Amino acid sequence: MIVALIVSVLAPVSGMAAGFQTGANVPAPALQAQDLSGVPHTLASFRGKVVLLNFWASWCPPCQREMPSMERLRLRMAGRPLEIIALDSAETRDEVSAYLSRMPLGFPVLLDSDGSNTRRWKVFALPSSFLLDAEGRVRYILTGPTEWDEGEALGLVESLLAELPVAGK
Amino acid sequence: MAGIASRWAEHGLRAILLGLLLCAFAAKAALPDYLTFHSEGERRLLWVPSEQGLSEPEHQAAQQLAKQGTEVWLLDLTHAYFLPQLPSSMDVVPQHDLADWLRAALADGKGVTLYAVARATVPVLHAIARLEPAQRARLCVLLMHPNLYAVAEPLAEPGYLDMGDLSGLRVRLLQPRRSAATPWLPGQLAHLALQGAAVSHVMLENLRETYWARETPTEFEVVESRRMAAMLLHEMNAWGCR
Repeated sequence: MIVALIVSVLAPVSGMAAGFQTGANVPAPALQAQDLSGVPHTLASFRGKVVLLNFWASWCPPCQREMPSMERLRLRMAGRPLEIIALDSAETRDEVSAYLSRMPLGFPVLLDSDGSNTRRWKVFALPSSFLLDAEGRVRYILTGPTEWDEGEALGLVESLLAELPVAGK
Repeated sequence: MAGIASRWAEHGLRAILLGLLLCAFAAKAALPDYLTFHSEGERRLLWVPSEQGLSEPEHQAAQQLAKQGTEVWLLDLTHAYFLPQLPSSMDVVPQHDLADWLRAALADGKGVTLYAVARATVPVLHAIARLEPAQRARLCVLLMHPNLYAVAEPLAEPGYLDMGDLSGLRVRLLQPRRSAATPWLPGQLAHLALQGAAVSHVMLENLRETYWARETPTEFEVVESRRMAAMLLHEMNAWGCR
């Protein structure tokens, strides 16, 4: 009830068209990807945290536009159980590295060079983002960019954090 | 008496000529409004731009092709049918008009290649499915990053549109690498093959979808936009389009 209230209050002041879809509350598909150093990552290592998983590519202008807001969200949420993961879709390590040299980011950037995660998550447009709750279920989906540190997007992140036990918030 | 007969013959001839003229007009009226870039060569390229409409680089490429011996018929569906420049507009294009346009292009025996872009590929393929198998087999088709989806939602299996019978059709898919559709290329190819087409593809490196009409193109995209005519000729040859 409180969550619904927060969302309903925050959404109208965002100034954005509401673009989030409610997820089917289903377990997230598997994520198997490496970071730029070659370290493998899966979602299991983030269990117990709210996760923002963002599919993007360095050639995609809307992806580039929203990236700074994801970094601001990370700074704003420092110390809270939120994990932001940017999964680059179907590009090489060099292409991603070149972008990150211009746009340093403090959250994990993973590679999906063969597109297998993109296909598993059924991502057809970039950027596409998934908000997962601490149980690893897909709760909200957004196709297209947003400003992650304000409005509806921030409200949804806060609502998922609010579901956590007090110690985890 | 001979004079009366002569006048009747003259009236008859005029009536026949008028009838032929009306028939010709009716036939032309059934075809969508398209641009022709004339050439005496043996090849004809039917160019159907995307739902975003015709761009200047495309117009220039059509002119270049005509100068190099490939006649171009250019059909901007949004312009021809006064449609908003949206993917959904392509769903209301009359398929029988397009099929008639294809038949008209095939009528004089020139080798015909059809090139369509993005969602405009959908009405084009539907029209091709309406052709007789022998007509279909004479067509060579290039599709630039086609959008053949009925459903494409996150976390859900993609659904493809039923194009009808494409048996005997040769389709080459041109896919810019820098596209969200790139990981889905195998699915698009498999769908076209399932509809009966013989398919191949080429990956266009370092390019984005509709790279010729980008607001902020890269230097490479600008260069490639200028050499679109050469690229199309290369792909026509690579795919054996005579």
